[in-house]
Amino acid sequence: MEQRQICSEKIEEDKNHMRSKNNGKDFCIFALPGLFCFIAVVIVPFVYGVYLTMTDWNGVSAVKNFVGLKNFAGVMKDTQFWTSLLLTFKYVIFVVVIVNVMAFGIAYLLTRGMKGQNFFRAGFFTPNLIGGIVLGYIWQFVFSRAFVSIGESTGWSLFEVSWLSDPTKAFAALVLVSVWQLSGYMILIYVAGFMGLSEDVMEAASIDGASGWTKMRSIVMPLMMSSVTICLFLTLSRAFMVYDVNLSLTAGAPYGTTEMAAMHVYEKAFTSRQFGVGQAEALILFVIVACISGLQVYLTKKKEVEA
Amino acid sequence: MQQTVVGGTKKKVANMLAMAGLILIFIAYMFPFLMVMINSLKQKRDIIKSPFSWLFTIKGLSFDNFVKAFTQMDFLNAFKNSLIVTVSATALVTLFAAMLAYYIVRHKNWISNITFALMVASMIIPFQAIMIPLVSIYGGTLNILNHRLTLIFMHTGFSMAMSVFMFHGFINGNIPIALEEAAYIDGCTHSQTFFKIVFPLLKPIISTMVILNALAFWNDFLLPSLVLTDKELLTLPLSTYSFYGTYSADYGTIMAGLLLCVVPILILYVVLQKQIINGVVAGAVK
Amino acid sequence: MRGKGCKGIALALILVLMSGMLTGCRFGFASDPDDPNEEVKEEPIDTSVDTFEYDSSLSGTNITLLNSKAEIQVALGKMGEEFEKKSGVHVEVMPVTDGDSPYTKVVSLYNSGNPPTMSILDTTDVIALAEEKAADLSEEAWIAEAENYLTEVNGKVYSLPLCIEGRGIIYNKAVIEETLGETFDPESITTLDEFTEFLEKLKKAGMEKPVSMAKEDWSLGAHHLQFVYETYDGTSEGAQKVIEQIKSGKMDLHSYNRMQEFLDMFDVLKEYNVAKGDPLGADYDEMAIDLADGKTAFWFNGNWAWPNLSEAGADNEDAYGFLPYFLNDDPDDFANQKIQGSPSKQVMVDGQFASEQEQAAAKEFLNWIVFSEIGQQMMVKTCNLIPPFQNNPYEPGDPLSRDIYEKVHADKAFNASAIVPNDHWAVLGAAMQKYLADRSDKEELIDSVQGYWDEQE
Repeated sequence: MEQRQICSEKIEEDKNHMRSKNNGKDFCIFALPGLFCFIAVVIVPFVYGVYLTMTDWNGVSAVKNFVGLKNFAGVMKDTQFWTSLLLTFKYVIFVVVIVNVMAFGIAYLLTRGMKGQNFFRAGFFTPNLIGGIVLGYIWQFVFSRAFVSIGESTGWSLFEVSWLSDPTKAFAALVLVSVWQLSGYMILIYVAGFMGLSEDVMEAASIDGASGWTKMRSIVMPLMMSSVTICLFLTLSRAFMVYDVNLSLTAGAPYGTTEMAAMHVYEKAFTSRQFGVGQAEALILFVIVACISGLQVYLTKKKEVEA
Repeated sequence: MQQTVVGGTKKKVANMLAMAGLILIFIAYMFPFLMVMINSLKQKRDIIKSPFSWLFTIKGLSFDNFVKAFTQMDFLNAFKNSLIVTVSATALVTLFAAMLAYYIVRHKNWISNITFALMVASMIIPFQAIMIPLVSIYGGTLNILNHRLTLIFMHTGFSMAMSVFMFHGFINGNIPIALEEAAYIDGCTHSQTFFKIVFPLLKPIISTMVILNALAFWNDFLLPSLVLTDKELLTLPLSTYSFYGTYSADYGTIMAGLLLCVVPILILYVVLQKQIINGVVAGAVK
Repeated sequence: MRGKGCKGIALALILVLMSGMLTGCRFGFASDPDDPNEEVKEEPIDTSVDTFEYDSSLSGTNITLLNSKAEIQVALGKMGEEFEKKSGVHVEVMPVTDGDSPYTKVVSLYNSGNPPTMSILDTTDVIALAEEKAADLSEEAWIAEAENYLTEVNGKVYSLPLCIEGRGIIYNKAVIEETLGETFDPESITTLDEFTEFLEKLKKAGMEKPVSMAKEDWSLGAHHLQFVYETYDGTSEGAQKVIEQIKSGKMDLHSYNRMQEFLDMFDVLKEYNVAKGDPLGADYDEMAIDLADGKTAFWFNGNWAWPNLSEAGADNEDAYGFLPYFLNDDPDDFANQKIQGSPSKQVMVDGQFASEQEQAAAKEFLNWIVFSEIGQQMMVKTCNLIPPFQNNPYEPGDPLSRDIYEKVHADKAFNASAIVPNDHWAVLGAAMQKYLADRSDKEELIDSVQGYWDEQE
């Protein structure tokens, strides 16, 4: 161990020496192609979009007048936006916790070398394959029909009426479907993480009994922290940005009680045709999510280092 | 090895329980996909009235939906378009992102830090917020919409951040710098070191990223719908538009179309699964 | 080892799918002649007579048509092909896809610098875009044929009205007669009271809940609620007037009689709703099946519902039709006598990016659908639309459109469409859902309608 340390310090010097000569070339070969695509497609339109929030452009007219922060004042007046934001927070908490616990657990079970685990993995992959209107339609079946018919035959009041016609249950339905879809994705990443662990770590972790949980916490978790960071970040940002599931499953129904922030922003910009206000709301949403996920990445990264 | 034997019967019981739980969750996960499969063979009326009924109890079970989806989607042409776009964009983003992430991990300078921070932040930009600026820049100013290359370029750009993020995490945690140092001592250049030593070690994460990216590109709807309007260029998801009505949709055909779309991805996943495992085995041997 | 099995399953699945696609095989009893799922046969188009004068200088022009009426996407494609055969002008039909609103699509296309030459849009979208983007169509020959159905923006016409659509209470005559054991004359019901009595009669005869009503916000917020404005005096101008008055605060919705009357009717529908126990759990597609099967006798909807009914097993020869949206007990009130029927989709021609040549080709296409024998036939038979042009001699094939068509010609329809802001249906649709689910009372609903208008500038 010690020897390696010394060795790498020495090399570090070599590398520093090399870097001064090659850094520019390295940058061009390694970083530039990816960076160029990224900046051209994401950053430039985003900056342009920020500029648009300060104009009165409606999306079609030829003239754009600079109006400063007037659109942000419009956001303050839009009470529905703040309601939807509050709801989104609630939703994010549920989704992030459940998705990560489930995906982590399932990925763990799927990497213990049990029989047929490849078959299982293919099955858990399927939520990734269904999107858009089919997703909403299938789940509407489940909530409005399957559950109701269970209710009819058992008399359970939980299933008496369609989940989608009651605000609280419609919210629960949204969480459920999001968990189903997102965890399918996260399982993939956690599986890759577990596969990256060396054999002895997995073996040590697979001993059950009284010490199993402790070992999990002290051996496996620290090594899985980079996957956890990634998955937490992804679930957090995707949950905040939820749009597809929201639109295809409830579309805000019943009576606008399940309208999340991203959907509200879209509706504001295009249905209500207040393009500038919608764009400004999108920006505010972005800043909020950026702060929260930045904090999360910072905290979990710290854990990684400590480990 | 010995340790597993010590686990004994206790482990077996635990395994059985885990297995049972897993099967239950598995069924819940599979259920919607099964629903799509079953209902893709039914007529619309039966889909609506008895979505859960098993196949042989239904009158008029048929492959008509598949035939209709196949012809109305202009399947072969759309398949070709999707294939070109997905393969090129996936290859590009995998290569560029791996290189960029490698650069960021191994060069701790201000460019790396800013790039990485920007990328992480950009992953939370809602697509709707840049949709209109995007088309006005690429269509209005540059006028390069309606080309496959533009779509490939945009797919590459949009998935760059997430891919770099994933590669970054993997390289950071799993690739020991000692290997590269050995290579430098042997006189390898940075490029040689990356392509000969590092890239092969990235196999598990590459397989994962290929799956995730290919899946996203193959199924994406919103971006292609903004970029492509020429009928000849339409990708698979775009070509299913005619099954949707204003008030109601042709569910049977949509589900058949969906299955036709996703089967290639399912195959890719099953094939790459093996790659992920092989990659890990290769890593263990080292 | 199972991994292989999985691959095997995947391959087997693909093989089965492929063989199915290639042979088009069916099993079961699908070729039963009474199969309700059998595709409706399309009426043949007679192309032997064509007196339309084509401008040969336009041949070879390429134009695009953005279609926001998804159900005629395939039919429009056929029309485009036929037009190309005759005129040499290629018409590319572009769809507005699921998840996009027509307006969003048009906006993004204009921003991309590649807008469609023609766009089929809702009236409110046309008004929003007309002066900035559209070509002036005021001098076109078809203007004379579409009297009363034109939309003017500051005295100019920027769009062609594509079709008339009407809405009301759809009835299934056969089911009613079977339930009551007597013949049913839709004309016999003339007031809200009589309608309620009739529902009660059906109930006594064993049909517990004879009405279907959709829970969707576009149905509640646009199709139901807009009767409040449209029945002011049965004209679009009147609707505009009452909206202005509500907006400016000159009219108090609480004391506006049409608002109260509308709620009276809505309450009756609500009371006899087949999904009364869970009105927000109702399923649109199932309503069509319920009406066709006879589980219900009435469905609040418009003639666009025919494809759904037809899929549910209804035939072109079946007797379906519309009852008015009864508002009160005065048999002389036009609202109790007439069906609402007005132009719903407009075709706008781009005047900003399209070249002279392209605009001329687009105008030729519009004239072709109005004046040529082939275009006229295809409008009615292929697209199944009710054209608002007096010179079109063809009658619609399906009973719902036929009923609207006959009522329009017998002065049993009123042509009023309220032009409301684009988010009216979404915002007030939610308020209506709340009322439908008994989560709010009349006062609260009226307050939200008033509040909505107060917020408009």
